[in-house]
Amino acid sequence: MNDRITAQRTADSLEEPVSEAANLAHKLGLDPYRVNYWIVDYDEMNELIAYDGFQTRYPHWRWGMKYDRQQKQNQFLGGKAFEIVNNDDPAHAFLQESNSLADQKAVITHVEAHADFFAHNQWFGLFTGGGTPDAAAMLARHADAIAAFMRDPDIEREAVESWIDTIQCLETNIDRHRAFESASAEEVPGIEDDDIADRLDELDLGADVVSEVFDDDWLEAQREEEPSGAIPPEPEPDLLAFLFRHGMAYDEESEKAVEMEEWQRTVLELLRREAYYFAAQRMTKVMNEGWAAYWESMMMGEENFAGTDEFLSYADHQARVLASPGLNPYKLGKELWEYIENSVNRREVCERLLRVEGITWRNFHDVVDFETVAAALAPDPVIDRIADDGLAAFDPDDPRIDSKALAAAKDGEIDVDRYPWKLLTYEGMAERHYSLAKPQNSGFLQRTSREELERISRYLFDDSRYGDVDEALADVEYTAGWDRLFEIRESHNDVTFLDEFLSQEFVDDNDYFTYEYTQATGDYRATSTDYEDVKKKLLLQFTNFGKPTITVQDGNYNNRNELLLAHHYNGVMLDVEQARQTLERVFDLWGRPVNLKTIVKELDEHDLEVAKRREREPDPDERGKLIRYDGESFTVEDLPWSEVEGIAATDVDYDTKPDEWLA
Amino acid sequence: MGLREDLERYREVGEERREDLAEFIQYGDLGGSGPESVRVPVKIIDLPGFEYDKRDQGGVGQGDGDTPQPGQPVGQPEPGDEEGEAGEEGGEHEYYEMDPEEFAQELDERLGLDLEPKGKRVVEETEGDYTDVSRTGPNSTLDFERMFKEGLKRKLAMDFDREYVREALRVDGMGPDSVFEWARGKHLPVSRAWLDDEYTKLAASERTRWSSIETMERNVDEEDTATRIRKEGVDHVPFRREDERYRYPEIVEEHEKNVVVVNIRDVSGSMREQKRELVERTFTPLDWYLTGKYDRAEFVYIAHDAEAWRVEREEFFGIRSGGGTKISSAYELAAAILDEEYPWNDWNRYVFAAGDSENSSNDTEEHVIPQMEAIPANLHAYVETQPSGNAINATHAEEVERHFHGSDNVAVAYVNGPGDVVDAIETILNTEDDNE
Repeated sequence: MNDRITAQRTADSLEEPVSEAANLAHKLGLDPYRVNYWIVDYDEMNELIAYDGFQTRYPHWRWGMKYDRQQKQNQFLGGKAFEIVNNDDPAHAFLQESNSLADQKAVITHVEAHADFFAHNQWFGLFTGGGTPDAAAMLARHADAIAAFMRDPDIEREAVESWIDTIQCLETNIDRHRAFESASAEEVPGIEDDDIADRLDELDLGADVVSEVFDDDWLEAQREEEPSGAIPPEPEPDLLAFLFRHGMAYDEESEKAVEMEEWQRTVLELLRREAYYFAAQRMTKVMNEGWAAYWESMMMGEENFAGTDEFLSYADHQARVLASPGLNPYKLGKELWEYIENSVNRREVCERLLRVEGITWRNFHDVVDFETVAAALAPDPVIDRIADDGLAAFDPDDPRIDSKALAAAKDGEIDVDRYPWKLLTYEGMAERHYSLAKPQNSGFLQRTSREELERISRYLFDDSRYGDVDEALADVEYTAGWDRLFEIRESHNDVTFLDEFLSQEFVDDNDYFTYEYTQATGDYRATSTDYEDVKKKLLLQFTNFGKPTITVQDGNYNNRNELLLAHHYNGVMLDVEQARQTLERVFDLWGRPVNLKTIVKELDEHDLEVAKRREREPDPDERGKLIRYDGESFTVEDLPWSEVEGIAATDVDYDTKPDEWLA
Repeated sequence: MGLREDLERYREVGEERREDLAEFIQYGDLGGSGPESVRVPVKIIDLPGFEYDKRDQGGVGQGDGDTPQPGQPVGQPEPGDEEGEAGEEGGEHEYYEMDPEEFAQELDERLGLDLEPKGKRVVEETEGDYTDVSRTGPNSTLDFERMFKEGLKRKLAMDFDREYVREALRVDGMGPDSVFEWARGKHLPVSRAWLDDEYTKLAASERTRWSSIETMERNVDEEDTATRIRKEGVDHVPFRREDERYRYPEIVEEHEKNVVVVNIRDVSGSMREQKRELVERTFTPLDWYLTGKYDRAEFVYIAHDAEAWRVEREEFFGIRSGGGTKISSAYELAAAILDEEYPWNDWNRYVFAAGDSENSSNDTEEHVIPQMEAIPANLHAYVETQPSGNAINATHAEEVERHFHGSDNVAVAYVNGPGDVVDAIETILNTEDDNE
């Protein structure tokens, strides 16, 4: 820890909650990185948040901006309980001194779940390559290197700062699906196509060989093929890597592209590395926050980790976090995890019930007595209400019972009233917190649709049949739901998570809807509650960090070493103004003119008038455009459709406006 | 390295990032501002990036028990919960709020204007400094200082060195008569009576101290008045009634710099969305500017097609009608309102009209131009908004411009797109600026 923040290791009062939270997390099947907790004051907390959870980052005004905003926001919201944890092994988490004990406990449980996610989600592994991120040290090294450039009398501080600005504009333009590799480590194919004739000269071949084999016709043929944009061979989404390898700086004085200075290349490389480090967090925001909220609520609420007297304060905190306005990734994530848990458990129960003689998907709702089922699924009272004076009732051979802990408890080494969960195994915990037995999920099983039942029964084997409902339910695996959650948290990211698990039932239960800006009314209107629409809009928001996909198409565009970028149009147009501003920045990294191919929607004024009068939505024209920036000015050129066909996606339609609204 | 440094840099950078005023007027969102406060957006997530067009993107919301049905308005999308996690983006921008005074000042700087508003209406007479005087008045306002000075001057004029004159009486052979003549010759303000008095007081032996006047003058120095006063002080200052002056306060007329701005807009069928927006973009900053320049600003909004009617500001920019166009109808109404409510003696007047230059035949020449001439105003302006170039019959602006060419209180400006707005504003305000 550096001394800028006089962080203090966990205060005495938190030592027990910290170690017990980790124990509880393990009981629940989580496997977090070890977490070091630090106590910081209010200002330090704001500072950490501004610096993305780390104490040492490179000097830049943007951190100052975030700090300023953070402070204003907190003044406005009032002392919200803070948590910040960074993805590292061991993870470092920061607790705010002024928080109540209940808030601290909530934060700790939340943090343990994050640490589990960091350790097991494969997208985090893309950066570490299976090792540990060692993030704090990496970021501190970067900070030192960049600060040294700024101090260097030969380099203007403002130049470094503006170089950083430029790179930050493109920080999401990386290949999020690719494991991180240093841009400089890869083979660098030369972009300047040396004249082949020159190269042949260098080979020092005999004149007859040259005239026989490499005759003028051949050379001509090579020239035609060669500059046809072999670089990059495929459209390249990692703009930062491409610019690192092939980009140049622009020299104002000579008005020419020049090789990047060493410091420029270094800064570019370092910031790209940081972009990859933070990419995993950006790609799993909904899942990760939902995961933490889910387990926090499990530990604090269900397992009463807060203690009865602290619970009210906790519940209040939780309500505030989840009640934030707009689309709240915490809430969406938590609801979806809960929905998945319920669905998997329901499926498990349905599979059992459909194997009972006499129960089919057709008569399911008529034959099954859901009250009986609910009673049968309720956790065994033995593990549901554990008390110190009931230890005798436990069977050490019961797989749900932690026999070692039971022995210890009998010896008085465990405070059973305070930590009843210590007596249970993962199986026991799964039964104790079985989702379908919870009051808020009481109607869930009964709401299983006919279609779903039919689907389940279609894949059932007939080999094991149950004589009655009780027999079937006795076989229900209580861990099915959790087991599945753990699998999902390993392999998914937000996009796949939403794509796979969002269903109409979920959308209906949680009141999600889509909205669009409507031209006719000049405001935003709700457009759909169909889950496919909601999913589309969510995917748009979370795919590629919620940004449009931009790739490098050609590093030798028009055979003039110009850069050609393409916006892969998916029906949603670019913010053209921002795109232009970004192109100006790209120019700084390319040194020569830059071009962007895109498709924009244009509305004819007359159509708009007509549409308004009829209260319908006008149908915009999609047109190809080439925006070119040469370092001084922009030109915009219309492109024929054939030129942009390749960048237009035809299989997606993110527009959720009902068809009948269209003019 | 460290927070303090980064914060400092942020403040410096932030200062530079307020949207340029001209940019704001031409392309910015004017809607967030009210008549009392102009909100210029300050981008705080200021680094650009490749982003979706926000409106085109749409989004997902969550109802609270009651999901809005398709078609229901849902308000502005709110940014999601921000916990300051990595990669989060917050609200798009903050606003730099300025009042109209500041706006006017900035615009002056930006456009190099120097419009001095005229104070017109007498709003009150106040008592200024007590600088006027009269010969009568209450004792408390008596200018004693003045009276004392006048008395002192009088005393000085009447005073002389008594000892010196007495010495002259001691010259052998000089009596009151000859001394009086001598004193006159020396401009000593001595009276004959005083000399007679003094002479009788002298003992006979004293009357022959000096053998001649020349001997006396050689031996006795005359002391001038100033030296004597310094030595002896002023024991008596003669006050005279004619020196009495009574001060009373000056009456000051306060002229309020007040202005009435008449905004006239063509709302006829040809005025499409884009033209309408251009009018709003031009008029709104003008309104702010004049509000900022004057102590008191009032606005009259007149919409017209073939007829004119007076509307409230809220409706003004939104109205659409289907009718034809007769611009004179608006000037007729403007003249009536100005006459009735804003007399030229008491008010600075600005009459701004805007439209696409289409007018019914001969209306401009036969009616509008004479009307404009008949309405006294600091400034008349016509703003033509014609985003798609000129229509053949749209000649109002040209006719007005031709007629008033070189006039110092009629401006005509052409706005074909948002990029022309600032130029138009400059043209308009400069016309008056130059006419001083």
